[in-house]
Amino acid sequence: MQLAVIVDNLPYLLWGNYPEGPLGGAALTVLLSAGSAILSALLGLALGVLLAIGQGSWHRLLVVVIGFLRAIPVLMLIFWTYFLLPIAFGIDVPGVLSVMLALSLVSGAYLAHAVAAGISGISAGQWQAGLSLGLPRWQVLHHIILPQALQIMLPSFVNQWVTLVKDSSLAYIVGVGELSFVAAQVNSRLMVYPAEVFLLVGLLYFLMCSGLEQFALWVGRHFSADRRAAQRQVPQATVSLTASQA
Amino acid sequence: MSLHFFAGPWLAPKHLLWMWQGFLTTLWLSLLVAFFATLLGVVLASARASTVQPLRQAATLYTSLFRNTPLLVQLLFWYFGLPSLFPDGTMDWLNGDHVFHLLGPLSLRWPSFEFLSAWCGLVCYSTAYIGEEIRSGLRGVPAGQALAGAAIGMTRLQVLRHIVLPQAIRLILPSLLGQYMNIIKNTSLTMGIGLAELSYASRQVESETFLAFQAFGVATVLYIAAIALLEALGQAHLRARRVRQGRA
Repeated sequence: MQLAVIVDNLPYLLWGNYPEGPLGGAALTVLLSAGSAILSALLGLALGVLLAIGQGSWHRLLVVVIGFLRAIPVLMLIFWTYFLLPIAFGIDVPGVLSVMLALSLVSGAYLAHAVAAGISGISAGQWQAGLSLGLPRWQVLHHIILPQALQIMLPSFVNQWVTLVKDSSLAYIVGVGELSFVAAQVNSRLMVYPAEVFLLVGLLYFLMCSGLEQFALWVGRHFSADRRAAQRQVPQATVSLTASQA
Repeated sequence: MSLHFFAGPWLAPKHLLWMWQGFLTTLWLSLLVAFFATLLGVVLASARASTVQPLRQAATLYTSLFRNTPLLVQLLFWYFGLPSLFPDGTMDWLNGDHVFHLLGPLSLRWPSFEFLSAWCGLVCYSTAYIGEEIRSGLRGVPAGQALAGAAIGMTRLQVLRHIVLPQAIRLILPSLLGQYMNIIKNTSLTMGIGLAELSYASRQVESETFLAFQAFGVATVLYIAAIALLEALGQAHLRARRVRQGRA
């Protein structure tokens, strides 16, 4: 194994041609995944709330749209956003943004179900308590239901982030210079060390993903301990909530 | 928003044929992957439940490695990386044209190296996920069942094969079906190593005709059809089981 050649290319794999050229490599992977994580969290939260409390034909439409997003491969959605957004709107959308949009839509659709499940996991008594205090529905949701539901949902959010880091590699297929793409570039430049190059890149992804996974486990333990502690102090919490609303 | 691209000409029969052939490749690959990943998933889950510590650790390491790296990078490794580690001559044989004659007119053609590495990569990746589903199913079977098997003198393997596994499979069938859907969707990544499956065909049609909407539209509809078919099979199975249980 020729370590020297790999080490020479490590900066390029990590951040592309930055600062002389555009940012690329692992840094772009992190940026792409972080952007999609934030967008998909907002989207998943909004759709999940609608899914949990919505009714009627709009609700059915939402179920169909979410089902559609979950049924097609992420790559197909990337094609839709990458090739059709520019044609449809007549503007030049950078590749990174269209991939970010596709990843956010898919991941938002998955999170919507987690959020809806989290909300319906909160007992009906919590709703009734809030409503009997005279709070409007959305305030009950905001102050009482979501804070509790989010704790239950947090692990599935972090798991979704791991998926996002992995799925950001699909940007390779439309030529966005993130880690997988620069890896293929380095590989075709060196020609002779394909196994070493892709093992190293796999290791970089592994470090990112397993780091997130460990974080998810830690958060899960932390919050379940917190919840147990909180459940012992329920009367006190209710009092402080009514006080803050008064 | 300009609508002119929605109303463009329809795809030529030649292009529709490309897409159909791509779809068949997608289905055939998914079927082969699902079959082998389920077999290996049982092995992996048994290894993770084993009493032999090194075996258990190896299985845990495998699961973590294959779940925490992107499938695309794994495919690139199998396609570009692995051949460089083979001894000379192996690649020539793998790339060669071999026909295996079976009974009468039936013969099996050796697949392309793209297909082989796509299959290998997807099986390794999906095994890690299916193994976890099976493991959670094994845990869901009450311990008394295994103890009862042991009490009548069955070996650990016999208990697994005849008592625990049949019950576990029934428990996890819905999530197993979800994994099979993931396999169908994941086959789209194999276009990254040049396998002419559905996504590859749609991209090819798009670049030849510039009819992006039609090309990706057809591919999307075919993917949804495949997923919907699996979903319908699952629902039908659940209904049939409910009817059986209702009678019992």
